[in-house]
Amino acid sequence: MKKIVIALVGQPNVGKSHLANAISGSNLKIGNFAGVTVEKATAHLSTEDFSIEFIDLPGLYSLEDFSADEKVTKDFLLTAEYDLILNVLDSTNLERNLMLTTELMELQKKMIIALNMDDEAIKEGIDINADAMSKILSIPCIRVSSKTKTNIDLLVEKILHVNKNPLVAPKMIYSDEVEEQLQTIVKFLDDKHFHATNALTNRQIAVGLLWQKKEMYAYMHEHPLYVELQPILNNALGHVYMYCQCEEIEEVINRQHSAFSTGLCAEVLRVTNAKSKNFTQAIDAVLIHKLFGIPIFIFLMWGLFQLTFSLGEIPMGWIEDSFGWLGDTVGETISNEALKSLIVDGIIAGVGSVIMFLPNIMILFLGIALLETTGYMSRAAFLLDGFFHKFGLHGKSFVPLVTGFGCSVPAYMAARTLKNKKDRLLTMFIIGFMSCGARLPVFVLFSGAFFEEEMAGNVLFGIYITGALLGLIAAKILRVTAFKGEDEPFVMEMPKYRLPSLKLLWFVVYSKSAMYIKKAGTFILLASMLIWFISSYPQNSLIEEEYTTKIEALQAQLDDAASAETVAPNKEATEETKPTEETTAELSAQDSGSLEDTIAALENEKHEKLMENTYLGLMGKVVEPFFAPLGFDWKMGVATISGLAAKEVIVSTLGVLYSLGDEVTEEDNSLREIIASNMNFASAMAFIVFVMIYLPCLAATAVFYKEAESLKYTVYLVLFTFITAWVLAFITYRTLLLFT
Amino acid sequence: MDLSQITKNQKAHITHIYAQHSLKKRLFSLGLGVGKEVEVVETSLQKNTIKITLGFSAVALRFDEAKLIEVEVA
Repeated sequence: MKKIVIALVGQPNVGKSHLANAISGSNLKIGNFAGVTVEKATAHLSTEDFSIEFIDLPGLYSLEDFSADEKVTKDFLLTAEYDLILNVLDSTNLERNLMLTTELMELQKKMIIALNMDDEAIKEGIDINADAMSKILSIPCIRVSSKTKTNIDLLVEKILHVNKNPLVAPKMIYSDEVEEQLQTIVKFLDDKHFHATNALTNRQIAVGLLWQKKEMYAYMHEHPLYVELQPILNNALGHVYMYCQCEEIEEVINRQHSAFSTGLCAEVLRVTNAKSKNFTQAIDAVLIHKLFGIPIFIFLMWGLFQLTFSLGEIPMGWIEDSFGWLGDTVGETISNEALKSLIVDGIIAGVGSVIMFLPNIMILFLGIALLETTGYMSRAAFLLDGFFHKFGLHGKSFVPLVTGFGCSVPAYMAARTLKNKKDRLLTMFIIGFMSCGARLPVFVLFSGAFFEEEMAGNVLFGIYITGALLGLIAAKILRVTAFKGEDEPFVMEMPKYRLPSLKLLWFVVYSKSAMYIKKAGTFILLASMLIWFISSYPQNSLIEEEYTTKIEALQAQLDDAASAETVAPNKEATEETKPTEETTAELSAQDSGSLEDTIAALENEKHEKLMENTYLGLMGKVVEPFFAPLGFDWKMGVATISGLAAKEVIVSTLGVLYSLGDEVTEEDNSLREIIASNMNFASAMAFIVFVMIYLPCLAATAVFYKEAESLKYTVYLVLFTFITAWVLAFITYRTLLLFT
Repeated sequence: MDLSQITKNQKAHITHIYAQHSLKKRLFSLGLGVGKEVEVVETSLQKNTIKITLGFSAVALRFDEAKLIEVEVA
């Protein structure tokens, strides 16, 4: 089977991913592209004997290195191995989209143009003559719609066709003056019988040189011919500048490309009735309204967190019950105590406590996907830029920050849209303050445990808002201390509002949920087993015996008392005249009550002592002094440390620790109730604050290191987050102690 | 007259872009260029950012950047 690698290139918001999705149907799989962290979507087409692999490159406006993610695309296009470029265009915004196309054409690669969103264009009365366009450019142009799946088969056919046949050089025509100068350079190279080693044509070299592309200069500089070439080039440039009455090559290039795009549009584009675009305008009139814009934004965010909690609550109960049932049922079938404990208390309790939060995670990711795909994200950036700017952040920082509510890993990558290195680093430092989806279980658990059900959603929203505000304050502090520097300009496109396809939304939510479940099934499973093991072993038989004898002794007393008690009523009936006897009987009844309590307390103490002597307990003892000022017991300390692996592990650790320790109170086996009865309010709040701020998981930290390309900043991040988390948790704990 | 001085719902032609280097390139690639017609459609509170439309697309700018774009009212 032959593999065709296709680079999907297009400006942002042209529906690249959607198109890839439409082509491949349900066969699309998305994974990380090795090395450059570009998403790679692989699709296998069963009809032909080909497998088509799509590289879904970050959208870009042009091939200049404006932002880091545009550089990823540019570097990929220039250096990576791929068979052809599928340039996706938004038919409703043809002229500007063509600006990128003209640049891509200069790359001299096999190319196909997909004029996407044809359905929308037809509605807006826009008609593109794709045949004429194909002829003019010498590139197959196909009108497609990923929404209605129009011409998708034709597109695949063209892909196969172009792939099979040799490259047909795209026809890019510049203005006469420029063409004249290009001819001069090409003629010189031809005369010298110059043949580039890397398959570049002399015209390509001429264009590269005239457009002053660094790479081309570096390449040509190696050749002795360059000495003779230089004066010709100088002359050509002088002419071009004169003709264009402009001294900057960028402007010349822009005018050339712009003229070409405009010319092409004049040839192929027919607009019959220009109506519609008022739809976006009408919505924007409300959503980015001077006064209502920000309140609406806050309301939408609040709604999202309310939904996350209240809607997620419903299936959460079912999942918790079914895992409880599973634990009981499986537990009954296993006779070996250690194995039973491993499976019920370790695996089922640990994994179950994480899976339980799947509905919340799904709603949160759905919300973020909606923000991204509808086009509201850039409106929020527009609204918030003024506010953000005061804190030294950029309006565009909003996108990575909101993504950070989902997961820090893609958020660090999303920070690539920021051009300025300092802005980018600053944003990346703050991302940790946006509590990620993995921390959500912790917050849901604690807000459910310590607040009324009606309040829990608000508390959740409050936690997120507090985190975000703390982030802003931290940003300001960092801005005036560590990241001083010039502001990045704020220029961004405001895409049209579009209703995302349900399929794409489902795809996003599905893949995120699948990832979450996979994590729960592998990583969390292993972590739960590990936590179970180090919290069960070594088993200290001395303590076990000591307590067992104590309890047995008491039990014996209790039995005696109970037998005495059962005798007592008889005595009472017969010997009513002896009041002293009666009182002793009453006393013994009271005694048996307190004895039962003592036994329960001893039972608890036994578990505590046993746990304290396990590996985990010993570890807990080591970290305890560090966490003691925050009001954490050793279990919470250990949970915090284990949370470094992944934040979900905090909950599973608590689940394992408390389900092991509290067999006595089996009637309330819900982790929430156990926690509510075992922690005081002040330490629980301090715990939330600590979890809210301290270092994102190790995976995220690794990505931070990769994105920041600096060990120094990674160390700063670790120190910064830990110190801030500790100090704020300390303040929270001490303050709350004063009031409770 | 620069773009920041244009009142809401007014159309103007770009006559010159004073921005430098990468900002200038970015403005170009977002479709702004000499001779293009733009319209200011919204300004945010405290006059921090403005939204302009040109052709089939819309762009958001900070006032600081808008000051770098010289325009002529149509």
